Amino acid sequence: MVFRVLVFLALLGLPLVSATSSQAHGPTRQKVTVTREVAASPADVWAVVGNFQDMSWHPAVYSSTGEGGNAIDATRVLTLGAEGGSTISEVLYKFSDEKMSYSYRITEVDVEVLPVTNYSSHLTVKPGANGGSLVEWKGAFYRGFPNNDPPEHLNDEAAVKAVTGVYEAGLDALATKFSGN
Amino acid sequence: MKRGLMLLRPSFQATSFGAILSALVLVGTPCAAGTFAFVTNQNSSDLSVLDLDKRTELKRIDVPGKPAGIHVSPLLDSFYTVSPDNMTVRRFSLSSCKVQAEAVMPGGPTGVVLAQTTGQLFVSDWYNSRVFVLDAETLNWVGELETGAAPAGLAVAGDDEFLVSADRDADQVSVFSLPDLKLLHRIDVGTRPFGVAAGPDGFVHVANVGSDDVYVVDPARGVVIAIIAVGARPYGIGFAAGQAFTTDQYADTVTVYTLSDYRKIDTVDVGEYPEGIAGDPDGKMVVSTNWFSNSISLIDPISHDVLAEVPTGDGPRAFGQFLYSTVGDVQPCHVQ
Repeated sequence: MVFRVLVFLALLGLPLVSATSSQAHGPTRQKVTVTREVAASPADVWAVVGNFQDMSWHPAVYSSTGEGGNAIDATRVLTLGAEGGSTISEVLYKFSDEKMSYSYRITEVDVEVLPVTNYSSHLTVKPGANGGSLVEWKGAFYRGFPNNDPPEHLNDEAAVKAVTGVYEAGLDALATKFSGN
Repeated sequence: MKRGLMLLRPSFQATSFGAILSALVLVGTPCAAGTFAFVTNQNSSDLSVLDLDKRTELKRIDVPGKPAGIHVSPLLDSFYTVSPDNMTVRRFSLSSCKVQAEAVMPGGPTGVVLAQTTGQLFVSDWYNSRVFVLDAETLNWVGELETGAAPAGLAVAGDDEFLVSADRDADQVSVFSLPDLKLLHRIDVGTRPFGVAAGPDGFVHVANVGSDDVYVVDPARGVVIAIIAVGARPYGIGFAAGQAFTTDQYADTVTVYTLSDYRKIDTVDVGEYPEGIAGDPDGKMVVSTNWFSNSISLIDPISHDVLAEVPTGDGPRAFGQFLYSTVGDVQPCHVQ
Protein backbone atom coordinates (compact mmCIF):
# COMPACT_ATOMS: atom_id res chain seq x y z
CA MET A 1 0.00 0.00 0.00
CA VAL A 2 2.76 2.40 0.93
CA PHE A 3 4.47 1.47 -2.29
CA ARG A 4 1.39 2.40 -4.26
CA VAL A 5 1.22 5.85 -2.69
CA LEU A 6 4.91 6.44 -3.32
CA VAL A 7 4.54 5.43 -6.93
CA PHE A 8 1.55 7.72 -7.21
CA LEU A 9 3.54 10.68 -5.88
CA ALA A 10 6.45 9.82 -8.14
CA LEU A 11 4.14 9.79 -11.16
CA LEU A 12 2.94 13.24 -10.24
CA GLY A 13 6.50 14.43 -9.98
CA LEU A 14 6.04 15.34 -6.34
CA PRO A 15 8.78 15.03 -3.75
CA LEU A 16 8.79 11.58 -2.16
CA VAL A 17 9.67 13.00 1.26
CA SER A 18 6.12 14.30 1.49
CA ALA A 19 4.80 10.79 2.00
CA THR A 20 6.04 10.41 5.57
CA SER A 21 3.88 11.73 8.36
CA SER A 22 6.52 13.89 10.00
CA GLN A 23 7.09 15.95 6.86
CA ALA A 24 4.96 18.51 5.04
CA HIS A 25 1.23 18.16 5.52
CA GLY A 26 -1.95 19.49 3.96
CA PRO A 27 -2.90 23.13 4.31
CA THR A 28 -5.72 22.89 6.83
CA ARG A 29 -5.78 20.94 10.07
CA GLN A 30 -9.07 19.17 10.64
CA LYS A 31 -10.84 18.45 13.92
CA VAL A 32 -13.43 15.96 15.03
CA THR A 33 -15.28 15.70 18.35
CA VAL A 34 -17.64 12.81 19.09
CA THR A 35 -19.44 12.47 22.45
CA ARG A 36 -21.73 9.77 23.82
CA GLU A 37 -23.82 9.46 26.95
CA VAL A 38 -22.95 6.21 28.71
CA ALA A 39 -25.20 4.73 31.41
CA ALA A 40 -22.51 4.10 34.03
CA SER A 41 -20.54 6.19 36.49
CA PRO A 42 -17.42 7.96 35.21
CA ALA A 43 -15.30 5.72 37.45
CA ASP A 44 -16.80 2.57 35.93
CA VAL A 45 -16.35 3.84 32.37
CA TRP A 46 -12.78 5.01 33.06
CA ALA A 47 -12.03 1.53 34.44
CA VAL A 48 -12.77 0.21 30.94
CA VAL A 49 -11.23 2.88 28.69
CA GLY A 50 -8.59 4.39 31.00
CA ASN A 51 -5.78 2.02 30.15
CA PHE A 52 -3.63 3.02 27.19
CA GLN A 53 -2.53 -0.60 26.79
CA ASP A 54 -6.05 -2.02 26.49
CA MET A 55 -8.17 -0.93 23.55
CA SER A 56 -10.29 -4.10 23.55
CA TRP A 57 -13.45 -2.02 24.10
CA HIS A 58 -13.19 -0.82 20.48
CA PRO A 59 -14.76 -3.25 17.99
CA ALA A 60 -12.20 -2.48 15.23
CA VAL A 61 -9.21 -3.32 17.42
CA TYR A 62 -8.11 -6.96 17.33
CA SER A 63 -5.13 -6.66 19.67
CA SER A 64 -2.81 -4.17 21.30
CA THR A 65 0.84 -4.59 22.25
CA GLY A 66 2.91 -1.90 23.86
CA GLU A 67 5.45 -0.71 26.37
CA GLY A 68 5.46 1.76 29.22
CA GLY A 69 1.96 1.22 30.66
CA ASN A 70 0.26 4.57 31.16
CA ALA A 71 3.46 6.58 31.57
CA ILE A 72 4.20 9.52 29.26
CA ASP A 73 5.88 8.26 26.07
CA ALA A 74 4.35 4.80 26.47
CA THR A 75 3.75 3.17 23.10
CA ARG A 76 1.19 0.78 21.65
CA VAL A 77 0.67 -0.94 18.33
CA LEU A 78 -2.98 -1.62 17.52
CA THR A 79 -3.76 -4.47 15.16
CA LEU A 80 -7.06 -3.93 13.38
CA GLY A 81 -9.68 -6.48 12.39
CA ALA A 82 -7.93 -9.82 12.71
CA GLU A 83 -4.57 -11.39 13.34
CA GLY A 84 -2.11 -10.05 10.81
CA GLY A 85 -4.35 -7.05 10.11
CA SER A 86 -3.25 -3.47 9.49
CA THR A 87 -1.54 -1.70 12.36
CA ILE A 88 -1.48 1.75 13.89
CA SER A 89 1.47 2.79 16.10
CA GLU A 90 0.74 5.34 18.81
CA VAL A 91 2.48 7.15 21.66
CA LEU A 92 0.96 8.51 24.88
CA TYR A 93 1.74 12.14 25.69
CA LYS A 94 -0.71 13.00 28.49
CA PHE A 95 -2.41 10.78 31.05
CA SER A 96 -4.46 11.70 34.12
CA ASP A 97 -6.51 9.31 36.27
CA GLU A 98 -7.73 12.34 38.18
CA LYS A 99 -9.06 14.10 35.07
CA MET A 100 -10.00 10.75 33.50
CA SER A 101 -8.30 11.76 30.28
CA TYR A 102 -5.44 10.68 28.08
CA SER A 103 -3.87 12.10 24.92
CA TYR A 104 -1.92 10.25 22.26
CA ARG A 105 -0.44 10.68 18.82
CA ILE A 106 -0.15 8.35 15.87
CA THR A 107 3.50 7.77 15.08
CA GLU A 108 2.95 5.48 12.13
CA VAL A 109 -0.03 4.54 10.00
CA ASP A 110 -0.51 3.81 6.33
CA VAL A 111 -2.79 6.49 4.85
CA GLU A 112 -4.62 3.67 3.08
CA VAL A 113 -5.62 2.38 6.55
CA LEU A 114 -6.47 5.73 8.15
CA PRO A 115 -6.18 8.64 5.69
CA VAL A 116 -4.57 11.15 8.09
CA THR A 117 -1.19 12.59 8.99
CA ASN A 118 0.03 14.47 12.08
CA TYR A 119 -2.80 12.92 14.09
CA SER A 120 -3.29 13.61 17.81
CA SER A 121 -6.23 12.69 20.00
CA HIS A 122 -7.78 13.07 23.47
CA LEU A 123 -10.15 10.62 25.18
CA THR A 124 -11.98 11.99 28.24
CA VAL A 125 -14.68 10.69 30.59
CA LYS A 126 -16.82 13.39 32.23
CA PRO A 127 -19.83 13.28 34.55
CA GLY A 128 -23.08 12.98 32.58
CA ALA A 129 -26.79 13.19 33.35
CA ASN A 130 -28.39 11.05 36.10
CA GLY A 131 -25.13 9.72 37.49
CA GLY A 132 -24.00 8.55 34.06
CA SER A 133 -21.01 9.59 31.98
CA LEU A 134 -20.28 11.68 28.96
CA VAL A 135 -17.41 10.24 26.97
CA GLU A 136 -15.66 12.64 24.63
CA TRP A 137 -13.18 11.67 21.92
CA LYS A 138 -11.40 14.46 20.05
CA GLY A 139 -8.95 14.33 17.19
CA ALA A 140 -6.77 16.83 15.33
CA PHE A 141 -5.10 15.83 12.08
CA TYR A 142 -4.28 16.69 8.50
CA ARG A 143 -5.59 14.82 5.47
CA GLY A 144 -3.68 11.85 4.08
CA PHE A 145 -2.44 13.65 0.98
CA PRO A 146 -0.02 16.44 1.81
CA ASN A 147 -0.08 18.43 -1.43
CA ASN A 148 -2.65 20.35 -3.45
CA ASP A 149 -5.35 18.52 -5.44
CA PRO A 150 -5.67 15.41 -3.26
CA PRO A 151 -7.30 12.27 -4.67
CA GLU A 152 -10.81 11.85 -3.28
CA HIS A 153 -9.93 9.11 -0.78
CA LEU A 154 -7.14 11.23 0.75
CA ASN A 155 -8.83 14.65 0.94
CA ASP A 156 -10.04 16.63 3.98
CA GLU A 157 -13.54 15.16 3.82
CA ALA A 158 -12.21 11.58 3.66
CA ALA A 159 -9.99 12.21 6.69
CA VAL A 160 -12.85 13.67 8.77
CA LYS A 161 -15.19 10.86 7.72
CA ALA A 162 -12.70 8.13 8.61
CA VAL A 163 -11.85 9.53 12.05
CA THR A 164 -15.52 10.22 12.83
CA GLY A 165 -16.29 6.61 11.92
CA VAL A 166 -13.60 5.26 14.23
CA TYR A 167 -14.81 7.39 17.16
CA GLU A 168 -18.49 6.61 16.61
CA ALA A 169 -17.87 2.86 16.37
CA GLY A 170 -15.84 2.90 19.58
CA LEU A 171 -18.21 5.05 21.62
CA ASP A 172 -21.32 3.26 20.33
CA ALA A 173 -19.79 -0.04 21.45
CA LEU A 174 -19.02 1.49 24.85
CA ALA A 175 -22.58 2.80 25.23
CA THR A 176 -23.96 -0.62 24.29
CA LYS A 177 -21.64 -2.38 26.74
CA PHE A 178 -23.11 -0.40 29.65
CA SER A 179 -26.69 -0.11 28.39
CA GLY A 180 -27.91 -3.14 30.36
CA ASN A 181 -26.83 -1.69 33.72
CA MET B 1 0.15 48.45 -13.95
CA LYS B 2 3.36 48.14 -12.02
CA ARG B 3 4.28 50.80 -9.56
CA GLY B 4 7.78 51.23 -8.26
CA LEU B 5 8.32 50.56 -4.59
CA MET B 6 9.82 53.98 -4.06
CA LEU B 7 6.71 55.58 -5.53
CA LEU B 8 4.45 53.40 -3.46
CA ARG B 9 6.09 54.20 -0.17
CA PRO B 10 5.31 57.91 0.20
CA SER B 11 1.78 57.55 -1.15
CA PHE B 12 1.10 54.84 1.41
CA GLN B 13 2.39 56.91 4.27
CA ALA B 14 0.42 59.90 3.11
CA THR B 15 -2.78 57.87 3.00
CA SER B 16 -2.39 56.26 6.38
CA PHE B 17 -1.18 59.34 8.18
CA GLY B 18 -4.04 61.23 6.59
CA ALA B 19 -6.49 58.67 7.91
CA ILE B 20 -5.02 58.83 11.39
CA LEU B 21 -5.04 62.65 11.38
CA SER B 22 -8.63 62.87 10.25
CA ALA B 23 -9.58 60.35 12.89
CA LEU B 24 -7.92 62.48 15.54
CA VAL B 25 -9.80 65.54 14.32
CA LEU B 26 -13.08 63.62 14.58
CA VAL B 27 -12.63 62.51 18.15
CA GLY B 28 -10.70 65.48 19.48
CA THR B 29 -8.13 64.63 22.15
CA PRO B 30 -6.90 61.04 21.98
CA CYS B 31 -8.26 58.84 24.74
CA ALA B 32 -6.88 55.57 26.02
CA ALA B 33 -6.04 53.28 23.14
CA GLY B 34 -8.16 50.24 22.39
CA THR B 35 -6.73 46.87 21.45
CA PHE B 36 -8.27 44.51 18.93
CA ALA B 37 -7.37 41.00 17.78
CA PHE B 38 -7.82 39.92 14.16
CA VAL B 39 -8.16 36.16 14.42
CA THR B 40 -8.31 33.97 11.32
CA ASN B 41 -10.76 31.12 11.91
CA GLN B 42 -9.47 28.46 9.57
CA ASN B 43 -12.20 25.85 9.92
CA SER B 44 -15.11 28.30 9.57
CA SER B 45 -13.41 30.36 6.83
CA ASP B 46 -13.85 33.72 8.49
CA LEU B 47 -12.12 36.23 10.72
CA SER B 48 -13.12 37.42 14.19
CA VAL B 49 -12.43 41.03 15.08
CA LEU B 50 -12.29 40.94 18.88
CA ASP B 51 -12.41 43.97 21.19
CA LEU B 52 -9.97 42.92 23.90
CA ASP B 53 -10.95 45.65 26.35
CA LYS B 54 -14.64 44.76 26.18
CA ARG B 55 -13.75 41.08 25.70
CA THR B 56 -16.31 40.62 22.97
CA GLU B 57 -16.41 39.94 19.26
CA LEU B 58 -16.90 43.20 17.38
CA LYS B 59 -17.37 41.72 13.92
CA ARG B 60 -17.15 38.50 11.92
CA ILE B 61 -15.79 38.83 8.36
CA ASP B 62 -16.07 36.17 5.65
CA VAL B 63 -12.67 35.05 4.39
CA PRO B 64 -13.18 32.15 1.96
CA GLY B 65 -10.56 29.40 1.60
CA LYS B 66 -9.62 28.44 5.19
CA PRO B 67 -7.48 31.42 6.23
CA ALA B 68 -4.50 30.97 8.56
CA GLY B 69 -1.92 33.71 7.89
CA ILE B 70 -2.64 37.23 9.14
CA HIS B 71 -0.75 40.51 9.34
CA VAL B 72 -2.24 43.74 10.68
CA SER B 73 -0.67 47.07 9.70
CA PRO B 74 -2.16 50.23 11.24
CA LEU B 75 0.33 52.34 9.28
CA LEU B 76 -1.05 51.10 5.96
CA ASP B 77 -4.63 50.94 7.31
CA SER B 78 -4.62 47.32 6.19
CA PHE B 79 -4.78 43.76 7.31
CA TYR B 80 -3.69 40.86 5.15
CA THR B 81 -5.00 37.29 5.15
CA VAL B 82 -3.75 34.12 3.47
CA SER B 83 -6.15 31.27 2.64
CA PRO B 84 -4.20 28.16 1.63
CA ASP B 85 -7.25 26.19 0.45
CA ASN B 86 -8.00 28.58 -2.41
CA MET B 87 -4.46 29.99 -2.46
CA THR B 88 -5.72 33.54 -2.01
CA VAL B 89 -3.99 36.51 -0.41
CA ARG B 90 -6.21 39.45 0.47
CA ARG B 91 -5.74 43.00 1.67
CA PHE B 92 -8.57 44.44 3.74
CA SER B 93 -8.99 48.03 4.92
CA LEU B 94 -8.78 48.31 8.71
CA SER B 95 -11.25 51.20 8.63
CA SER B 96 -13.94 49.42 6.63
CA CYS B 97 -12.90 45.77 6.97
CA LYS B 98 -13.67 45.40 3.25
CA VAL B 99 -11.44 43.72 0.67
CA GLN B 100 -9.20 46.16 -1.21
CA ALA B 101 -7.06 43.75 -3.22
CA GLU B 102 -6.91 40.02 -3.85
CA ALA B 103 -4.34 37.75 -5.50
CA VAL B 104 -4.30 34.01 -6.19
CA MET B 105 -0.84 32.53 -5.74
CA PRO B 106 0.44 29.22 -7.11
CA GLY B 107 1.47 26.48 -4.66
CA GLY B 108 0.71 26.66 -0.94
CA PRO B 109 0.63 30.21 0.40
CA THR B 110 0.82 30.02 4.20
CA GLY B 111 2.55 32.68 6.29
CA VAL B 112 2.53 36.43 5.67
CA VAL B 113 4.50 39.40 6.93
CA LEU B 114 4.81 43.01 5.88
CA ALA B 115 7.83 45.32 5.79
CA GLN B 116 5.72 48.43 6.01
CA THR B 117 8.43 51.03 5.34
CA THR B 118 9.51 49.28 2.12
CA GLY B 119 6.01 48.40 0.91
CA GLN B 120 6.97 44.74 0.48
CA LEU B 121 4.58 41.98 1.50
CA PHE B 122 6.01 38.48 1.90
CA VAL B 123 4.04 35.23 1.59
CA SER B 124 5.61 31.80 2.17
CA ASP B 125 4.89 28.98 -0.31
CA TRP B 126 4.74 25.80 1.79
CA TYR B 127 4.97 23.52 -1.25
CA ASN B 128 7.66 25.14 -3.36
CA SER B 129 10.53 26.33 -1.12
CA ARG B 130 10.04 29.99 -1.83
CA VAL B 131 8.69 33.26 -0.51
CA PHE B 132 6.63 35.49 -2.78
CA VAL B 133 7.37 39.20 -2.70
CA LEU B 134 4.23 41.24 -3.40
CA ASP B 135 3.42 44.92 -3.69
CA ALA B 136 1.81 45.66 -0.33
CA GLU B 137 -0.91 47.83 -1.84
CA THR B 138 -1.92 46.05 -5.05
CA LEU B 139 -0.67 42.53 -4.19
CA ASN B 140 1.03 42.45 -7.60
CA TRP B 141 3.87 39.94 -7.88
CA VAL B 142 7.23 41.66 -7.49
CA GLY B 143 9.60 38.73 -7.09
CA GLU B 144 10.38 35.58 -5.18
CA LEU B 145 13.07 34.30 -2.82
CA GLU B 146 14.42 30.76 -2.59
CA THR B 147 14.12 29.18 0.86
CA GLY B 148 14.59 25.68 2.29
CA ALA B 149 11.78 23.09 2.10
CA ALA B 150 8.33 23.99 3.45
CA PRO B 151 8.69 27.63 4.52
CA ALA B 152 5.97 28.49 7.05
CA GLY B 153 6.35 31.37 9.52
CA LEU B 154 7.85 34.71 8.44
CA ALA B 155 9.21 37.63 10.45
CA VAL B 156 10.61 41.05 9.62
CA ALA B 157 13.33 42.12 12.06
CA GLY B 158 15.44 45.15 12.80
CA ASP B 159 14.20 48.42 11.35
CA ASP B 160 12.69 46.56 8.37
CA GLU B 161 16.23 45.31 7.65
CA PHE B 162 15.76 41.54 7.65
CA LEU B 163 13.24 38.99 6.44
CA VAL B 164 13.40 35.60 8.18
CA SER B 165 11.60 32.46 7.00
CA ALA B 166 11.19 29.26 9.03
CA ASP B 167 11.97 26.48 6.56
CA ARG B 168 10.17 23.68 8.36
CA ASP B 169 11.39 20.60 6.53
CA ALA B 170 14.95 21.92 6.18
CA ASP B 171 15.37 22.50 9.95
CA GLN B 172 16.72 25.97 9.21
CA VAL B 173 15.78 29.61 8.89
CA SER B 174 16.69 31.74 5.87
CA VAL B 175 17.62 35.39 6.40
CA PHE B 176 17.32 37.97 3.60
CA SER B 177 18.28 41.63 3.61
CA LEU B 178 15.64 44.32 3.05
CA PRO B 179 14.78 46.05 0.86
CA ASP B 180 17.31 44.57 -1.60
CA LEU B 181 16.26 40.92 -1.01
CA LYS B 182 19.72 39.33 -0.85
CA LEU B 183 20.25 36.01 0.92
CA LEU B 184 22.37 36.69 4.02
CA HIS B 185 22.29 33.45 6.03
CA ARG B 186 20.87 29.99 6.36
CA ILE B 187 20.90 29.19 10.08
CA ASP B 188 20.46 25.62 11.37
CA VAL B 189 17.86 25.50 14.14
CA GLY B 190 15.89 22.75 15.94
CA THR B 191 13.64 20.17 14.32
CA ARG B 192 10.83 21.47 12.09
CA PRO B 193 10.69 25.21 12.82
CA PHE B 194 7.21 26.59 12.09
CA GLY B 195 6.55 29.88 13.89
CA VAL B 196 8.98 32.80 14.06
CA ALA B 197 8.74 36.20 15.70
CA ALA B 198 10.99 39.24 15.97
CA GLY B 199 11.56 40.06 19.63
CA PRO B 200 12.12 43.41 21.33
CA ASP B 201 15.63 42.07 22.09
CA GLY B 202 16.46 42.56 18.40
CA PHE B 203 16.66 38.83 17.78
CA VAL B 204 14.37 36.40 16.01
CA HIS B 205 12.78 33.62 18.05
CA VAL B 206 12.13 30.35 16.23
CA ALA B 207 9.72 27.70 17.61
CA ASN B 208 10.63 24.14 16.61
CA VAL B 209 7.60 21.85 16.70
CA GLY B 210 9.71 18.69 16.40
CA SER B 211 12.28 19.33 19.13
CA ASP B 212 10.08 21.27 21.59
CA ASP B 213 12.45 24.20 21.87
CA VAL B 214 12.96 27.81 20.80
CA TYR B 215 16.11 28.99 19.06
CA VAL B 216 16.98 32.66 19.43
CA VAL B 217 18.96 33.79 16.39
CA ASP B 218 20.75 37.00 15.46
CA PRO B 219 19.64 37.86 11.90
CA ALA B 220 22.55 40.27 11.36
CA ARG B 221 25.34 37.84 12.22
CA GLY B 222 23.54 34.60 11.36
CA VAL B 223 24.27 32.91 14.68
CA VAL B 224 22.28 31.19 17.40
CA ILE B 225 22.18 33.20 20.63
CA ALA B 226 20.22 30.85 22.91
CA ILE B 227 18.17 27.65 22.98
CA ILE B 228 15.25 27.32 25.41
CA ALA B 229 13.38 24.06 26.10
CA VAL B 230 9.63 24.77 26.14
CA GLY B 231 6.40 22.71 26.18
CA ALA B 232 5.34 20.09 23.64
CA ARG B 233 4.97 21.23 20.02
CA PRO B 234 5.57 24.98 20.27
CA TYR B 235 3.89 27.02 17.51
CA GLY B 236 3.80 30.72 18.17
CA ILE B 237 5.85 33.25 20.15
CA GLY B 238 4.70 36.57 21.63
CA PHE B 239 6.42 39.18 23.78
CA ALA B 240 5.47 41.36 26.75
CA ALA B 241 7.08 42.81 29.87
CA GLY B 242 10.58 41.58 29.10
CA GLN B 243 9.42 38.03 28.53
CA ALA B 244 8.55 35.69 25.68
CA PHE B 245 5.48 33.45 25.60
CA THR B 246 5.22 30.31 23.44
CA THR B 247 2.09 28.33 22.64
CA ASP B 248 2.73 24.64 23.35
CA GLN B 249 0.19 22.97 21.14
CA TYR B 250 0.24 19.43 22.54
CA ALA B 251 0.59 20.56 26.15
CA ASP B 252 -2.28 23.10 26.06
CA THR B 253 0.05 25.54 27.80
CA VAL B 254 1.97 28.75 27.28
CA THR B 255 5.62 28.64 28.34
CA VAL B 256 7.14 31.88 29.65
CA TYR B 257 10.86 32.67 29.41
CA THR B 258 12.88 35.79 30.14
CA LEU B 259 14.48 37.94 27.45
CA SER B 260 17.29 39.01 29.78
CA ASP B 261 18.83 35.57 30.25
CA TYR B 262 16.59 33.24 28.18
CA ARG B 263 15.47 31.24 31.18
CA LYS B 264 12.15 29.40 31.38
CA ILE B 265 10.23 30.77 34.36
CA ASP B 266 6.61 29.62 34.13
CA THR B 267 3.96 27.52 32.43
CA VAL B 268 0.38 28.77 32.03
CA ASP B 269 -2.64 26.55 31.27
CA VAL B 270 -4.68 27.88 28.33
CA GLY B 271 -7.28 26.41 25.95
CA GLU B 272 -6.67 23.41 23.72
CA TYR B 273 -4.17 23.42 20.84
CA PRO B 274 -2.99 27.00 21.31
CA GLU B 275 -1.53 28.59 18.16
CA GLY B 276 -1.05 32.28 17.38
CA ILE B 277 0.11 34.39 20.33
CA ALA B 278 1.07 38.03 20.79
CA GLY B 279 1.60 40.64 23.48
CA ASP B 280 -0.27 43.93 23.06
CA PRO B 281 1.97 46.97 22.57
CA ASP B 282 1.06 48.48 25.95
CA GLY B 283 2.15 45.35 27.78
CA LYS B 284 -1.32 44.92 29.31
CA MET B 285 -1.96 41.40 28.12
CA VAL B 286 -0.80 38.45 26.11
CA VAL B 287 -3.32 36.85 23.77
CA SER B 288 -3.19 33.18 22.80
CA THR B 289 -5.59 31.67 20.27
CA ASN B 290 -6.87 28.20 21.11
CA TRP B 291 -7.50 26.27 17.90
CA PHE B 292 -9.48 23.36 19.32
CA SER B 293 -11.36 25.34 21.99
CA ASN B 294 -12.49 28.08 19.57
CA SER B 295 -11.40 30.84 21.91
CA ILE B 296 -8.63 33.22 22.85
CA SER B 297 -7.08 33.34 26.31
CA LEU B 298 -6.05 36.72 27.74
CA ILE B 299 -3.02 36.37 30.01
CA ASP B 300 -1.66 38.92 32.47
CA PRO B 301 2.01 39.28 31.48
CA ILE B 302 3.12 40.02 35.06
CA SER B 303 1.10 37.58 37.19
CA HIS B 304 0.68 35.04 34.36
CA ASP B 305 -2.97 34.58 35.38
CA VAL B 306 -5.52 33.90 32.67
CA LEU B 307 -7.79 36.97 32.86
CA ALA B 308 -10.50 35.86 30.45
CA GLU B 309 -11.39 33.53 27.62
CA VAL B 310 -13.29 35.02 24.67
CA PRO B 311 -15.07 32.89 22.01
CA THR B 312 -14.03 33.02 18.33
CA GLY B 313 -15.12 31.25 15.16
CA ASP B 314 -14.16 27.64 14.44
CA GLY B 315 -10.46 26.79 14.42
CA PRO B 316 -8.72 30.09 15.28
CA ARG B 317 -5.13 30.20 13.97
CA ALA B 318 -4.00 33.87 14.01
CA PHE B 319 -0.77 32.79 12.36
CA GLY B 320 1.14 36.08 12.22
CA GLN B 321 0.95 39.59 13.62
CA PHE B 322 -2.73 39.80 14.62
CA LEU B 323 -3.07 42.56 17.26
CA TYR B 324 -4.08 46.13 16.53
CA SER B 325 -3.90 49.00 19.01
CA THR B 326 -5.89 52.04 17.97
CA VAL B 327 -5.39 55.71 18.59
CA GLY B 328 -8.14 57.37 20.60
CA ASP B 329 -11.66 56.04 20.15
CA VAL B 330 -11.11 54.82 16.62
CA GLN B 331 -12.51 51.37 16.03
CA PRO B 332 -11.72 49.05 13.14
CA CYS B 333 -14.50 48.40 10.61
CA HIS B 334 -16.20 51.74 11.42
CA VAL B 335 -16.37 53.03 7.82
CA GLN B 336 -19.45 51.76 5.98
